[in-house]
Amino acid sequence: MSTQTTTQKPAEQPVTGSRSPKVSLGRLWDTWGVTALLILLLLCTPAVAPGFLEIENLQSVLRESAYVGIVAVGMTFAIASGAFDLSVGGQLALTSVVTLMAFNGGGTAAAVAAAITTGLLCGLVNAGLITQLKVPPFVATLGSLFVFRGIAYLLTQDGPQTLPYEHVDSPFAKIGSLNLAGLPVPFLIMVAVFAAGWVLMRRTAIGRRTLAYGSSPSAARFCGISDTRIRLFVFVLVGLTVGIAALTYITRVWTADGSAQDGFELKVIAAVVLGGTALKGGKGTLIGTFSAVFLVSVLNEVLVSQGVESAYQRIVLGLVLIVALTIDGLRTRFAAPGSFRRALRPTS
Amino acid sequence: MINTIKKVPLLVPLVLVAAILAITTDTFLSAGNLENVLVAAAILAIPGIAMTFCLAMGEFDLSIGSTVSLAGVACCSALIAGQSLAFSLIAALGVGALIGLANGLVITKLGVTPFIATLATMVIVRGASLAYTDGHDQIVSSPGLKYLVAGRPLGIPMPIVLAVVVAALGWWTINRTRFGRWVCAIGSNRDAARMSGLPVDRIRIAVYVLVGLSGGLWGLLISSQLQKGNGQLGLGFELDAITVVVLGGTALLGGRASVIGTVLGAVMIETIRNGLNLLNTPPAYQRISVGLLLIAALALLALRRREKRGTKPNRVPARVQESAA
Repeated sequence: MSTQTTTQKPAEQPVTGSRSPKVSLGRLWDTWGVTALLILLLLCTPAVAPGFLEIENLQSVLRESAYVGIVAVGMTFAIASGAFDLSVGGQLALTSVVTLMAFNGGGTAAAVAAAITTGLLCGLVNAGLITQLKVPPFVATLGSLFVFRGIAYLLTQDGPQTLPYEHVDSPFAKIGSLNLAGLPVPFLIMVAVFAAGWVLMRRTAIGRRTLAYGSSPSAARFCGISDTRIRLFVFVLVGLTVGIAALTYITRVWTADGSAQDGFELKVIAAVVLGGTALKGGKGTLIGTFSAVFLVSVLNEVLVSQGVESAYQRIVLGLVLIVALTIDGLRTRFAAPGSFRRALRPTS
Repeated sequence: MINTIKKVPLLVPLVLVAAILAITTDTFLSAGNLENVLVAAAILAIPGIAMTFCLAMGEFDLSIGSTVSLAGVACCSALIAGQSLAFSLIAALGVGALIGLANGLVITKLGVTPFIATLATMVIVRGASLAYTDGHDQIVSSPGLKYLVAGRPLGIPMPIVLAVVVAALGWWTINRTRFGRWVCAIGSNRDAARMSGLPVDRIRIAVYVLVGLSGGLWGLLISSQLQKGNGQLGLGFELDAITVVVLGGTALLGGRASVIGTVLGAVMIETIRNGLNLLNTPPAYQRISVGLLLIAALALLALRRREKRGTKPNRVPARVQESAA
């Protein structure tokens, strides 16, 4: 295919060539920096929180992180393409409610089908708003956040949807509680989603095109990459990951209504950004996202074990975010080709 | 007349909605109800006007909802500690301004993207407010504080007086002062603004301080309404403030600002909320309608832009539009 060969070359550019190749330490930091921080944190944690290494506790950390991590894969694609999806919280609430309704009506298979379908539909709605009505992604997904949550509220007017206790042994409820070889199933699903996401981003044409589009939409357009297709791909992918995440989420908490996971979108975006995916698009690192998800949850775990109240946990999370982004901002400023003097000037 | 409608596209749907409500309910047009709508709209318009500056510059401030909480808490706890009313009001506004200053400094001096910087301060400030109050309500009964919402100088409710003053100042600043032109210049092309020698960083900081101040005032009004402050106040308010501005027609990508549009946007949202209440619809519909309204407004704007493209050359290069979105 001729389009493929023409698009792959420019796609190479944003991944490797955005700064001078000499600064290899910087490029290493891009992909592995957060992972290094995570390992450092993991090494220090047992010293301050002796209970951390207990198998039960580790399992619960892995299980808790799964649904954020799964959606973070989709969000990494979205941000790498230069757009946010602010509606993931609404999508998760709506999908969870619909999934529980389907389970109570038709059992496990119906629930799984409902979760995936609802997620995909939510993504399609967003893609439609953005490509057909030409609403900027930020506002389109802000609007659909209200709409999805609203629908979830409507569906649960008579009380939240719940998973009845007598179904504790159903295969559906097991998704959230089962361990395979000591590893919780939600975590295994998350790893699978990350692996699939990595292949999609690095080894397929559409993944490269997404990165190319994120780094310069107009250049990508000149290379024959279709806006509509990228937007459709990205937002439907986010919807799909929300559908999968809803399955692991709902089988853990067993109940959902319109207010489920308020502020979820910010958690996910924070993880992606912390992982090193550039907000201005064109650069996405799933390895970074993966580590960042755990960095945040391990940090939370440490704070909880130290008896730090949840109010202070927020403060720490916010500070970590600012520090990480400041380091990133300073680093790109100093690594960018150009004089040292220019680097010292405030960024535009 | 036609010109006015073209400049303020929200006018027609607003009149339509009001007409529908006037016909379908008996209470909408009663003086008491109209006053309720206008007071609510006034309270929402005040931060909206400050946010108009921020969006005109092509940036967001997501931390304003948390500012509402911390400012309310600051005022109430100062009153509880026996400080004077003036001190408490200034404390609240000062907290707001400081949060704005912190936002501005992190964004300009540390080079963190506004979206993430204000996202982080939103989390931090909310945490500070929750930590300080320890999850408890700080209940006050201060007639002086109550006056901010319930007072009626010359028979006009106080929030409306405040909103009119803020709107007049905002309109004048955007349309008649150098500062306003600078803000729009930064919004339409920041690099060009910097190269023409504008003190871009200082202007950006000033705008964030302005938004912080308005958040402080918003917090005072909310605390005055509820006669309390706590860590939960203002959850999700940032979206309200941004929605109002976007509805009012201020370009999301900066460069253009409409203070009158913002005020009408606030009236529109509160009219719809009020109408849905009067029609006894469940609160869920309110969320859905606000979301749909936001999408509809932006879809219409995009449609008009496409129509215009046929007659006039598109001034903003496609790349700038896309990357900023």
